[in-house]
Amino acid sequence: MAFLCDPEFGTFFSENILPLLAYAGSSLAALLGIAYMAGTATSNAKLTLWSKTEAVQFIVSTVSVFLIITTMNTFCSIKINEIAAIFDMPASADNPDIYGAARGYLNDAAIYSHNALTVVRYHLESYTTLSFFNAFICDLSTGRIGWGCLFGYSGVSQQPLGGYAVQTAAMNIFFNGAIIAHFMSLNFIFILLFVYKGFVFLFLPLGVFMRSMPYMRSFGSLLVALAISFLIVYPFLLAVFYLMRNVLVDADNGYTPLSEPMSTYNTNEERMEGYVNGGDMLAMSTGGESFVKGCYFDRGGCYGSGVNIENMSGAIGFASNAFVAAIFFPSIALLATIASVGYIARLYGEEIDLSRITQLV
Amino acid sequence: MKALTALLIILMAPVAFAAWQGTAAVAIMTSAGILGIIYMIGMGFGINELQMTAKEEFFQLIAMMVMIALLVGGDSILNAISANPAFSGSGSTTLQGAANASIDITLANVTALMDSIAETDHDAAIEGSKASSCSILGMGYSVSGCGSYTMLSAPLSMAGGITGFAVGELYTMKRLIELSTAFAFPFLLPLGIVLRTFKFTRGAGGLLIALAISLHILLPMGVIFNDMLGATFLDPPGAADDALSAPYQAGLQNVTLECNPGATGEEWWSGDSNAANAVRGYHALRDNLRVYLFTMLVQATLGPVLALLMMSTGLRTLTSLAGAEVDVSAISRFV
Repeated sequence: MAFLCDPEFGTFFSENILPLLAYAGSSLAALLGIAYMAGTATSNAKLTLWSKTEAVQFIVSTVSVFLIITTMNTFCSIKINEIAAIFDMPASADNPDIYGAARGYLNDAAIYSHNALTVVRYHLESYTTLSFFNAFICDLSTGRIGWGCLFGYSGVSQQPLGGYAVQTAAMNIFFNGAIIAHFMSLNFIFILLFVYKGFVFLFLPLGVFMRSMPYMRSFGSLLVALAISFLIVYPFLLAVFYLMRNVLVDADNGYTPLSEPMSTYNTNEERMEGYVNGGDMLAMSTGGESFVKGCYFDRGGCYGSGVNIENMSGAIGFASNAFVAAIFFPSIALLATIASVGYIARLYGEEIDLSRITQLV
Repeated sequence: MKALTALLIILMAPVAFAAWQGTAAVAIMTSAGILGIIYMIGMGFGINELQMTAKEEFFQLIAMMVMIALLVGGDSILNAISANPAFSGSGSTTLQGAANASIDITLANVTALMDSIAETDHDAAIEGSKASSCSILGMGYSVSGCGSYTMLSAPLSMAGGITGFAVGELYTMKRLIELSTAFAFPFLLPLGIVLRTFKFTRGAGGLLIALAISLHILLPMGVIFNDMLGATFLDPPGAADDALSAPYQAGLQNVTLECNPGATGEEWWSGDSNAANAVRGYHALRDNLRVYLFTMLVQATLGPVLALLMMSTGLRTLTSLAGAEVDVSAISRFV
């Protein structure tokens, strides 16, 4: 299915939504006309007044629909770099429209939180694996060779790389945090896709019709307000955050706040596997603790360059930044959108309390 | 009316002097222009509702101008206060710079403490994992005389979690201040002013204005405020109180955890024993606890919580003040 500003979406809109709007509008107009005529014929002032009032509300609904379509077209034609130029901000290479920028921000947030997850997972895996590494240090040893084991078995068994409980505890917390950040960003993307794929437009014909039905004014207003808020306010705020992406998601640094590129924190298991199978494990243990630790925390692996890539504080900071980018800012956009639903409904003369919904955020 | 105009001109005078104030002024002018067009359309077509709406919104705009003028004055005063080395000690010229410098210092301290805790945990785990074995011709023994050190793993792990939270909070605040410096007033505030002009986007506009002010002023103010609290605690007015604060600002003691897994009593040549070593280690850990406490709890946990709560409370209050009732209680729950 096409997205909002795609040419195919125009076909979907004109073939599905517009006819539905026309049906809703014409049937409502017919209903109001019949009610007015019946009211005049039976001299029922209540009925005539109702039909007149609803005719005005029908015009209000039509104007709202016109407003939505006009704003939508404007959003599809405004390029984000045009807004960036007004505020003297760096231009985007993609230069998407407003709706594209909103989607771009959430995609960036998802990539960023996933990168945070990768770095935290890398550290967590390293500390967990290293802390279970055992060694038997023979008595009377010369380097790694213990003479105490020559005729028997005399020495000390220990975990020379043990004791990463501090790091593991901290990393576990931020691993969970990064997962939640990533899932939240995906959740916000799904909400946006729900809007972009046009389903929210079905609220319009239903809203226009329902607003004029007895006892259904609030429900109809809610539907129209939801359509306006999620088609205008939510994408616009996300597009605003897109302009802040160089700081918010470190877009100009490969979506990482760290100086090491993401490829350094290789999630490929071969980094360790090649050395721990069969006899390699024995060979590896004789290399000493620093050799084993280097397999994870040396930039080039077991026989690497000697550059340390262990950065626990940086990994925690990365996960914290992911929280800001993928939870805090999109939540603000959603809260403003929900607040706008209330405002718009108030414009239609209805009081809708959505405060319970905000508690789900 | 003339007096009101004169007051407005006086209030808006500082707007001409700095970059973000200029952008805010342009945003206000844009909003005024849009309202003027709406009013003229209403007048041209004889639609009273449009004229009334434009008038009503213009009053909102005047209220916004007063708020911006107060903000300009308030920002200058806060910058002057925060630039005072007595508060920030960093020589920064802005509130945000001072707060950032303070966070950097706290972050360095917390990272150092975390490294120290991790090192202790590392030593304790290695010593605790030791087991001495000896066997000849199938006969032998195995002694694990250092196993009691494993009991340190749980509290040190908890300390790691708390320290990790502290580091995370500090990084979050650092990122928020970075965002505020780059975008709050030059971008979010003027955009909020323009969005607030329209009823459909009043909620979003009000929230952006509140977010800009909270991020730019209240968050760094919370950091500086906490610094002042901490400084008062560490440097109390009366000398008699020094005994109270001294242990909290002492240097870290070396924690040496050494153990011989095969030794079950005192060493005959030194009189030392595993038990005596453990007691020395635990005493050093106990003395270090108060050094950890001040940095971890006051500087790195209470400070960020205070600053973030100030920001979220400010966000709630300012959204109401900006005429937009946005329920930001969900944001407060993040803290």
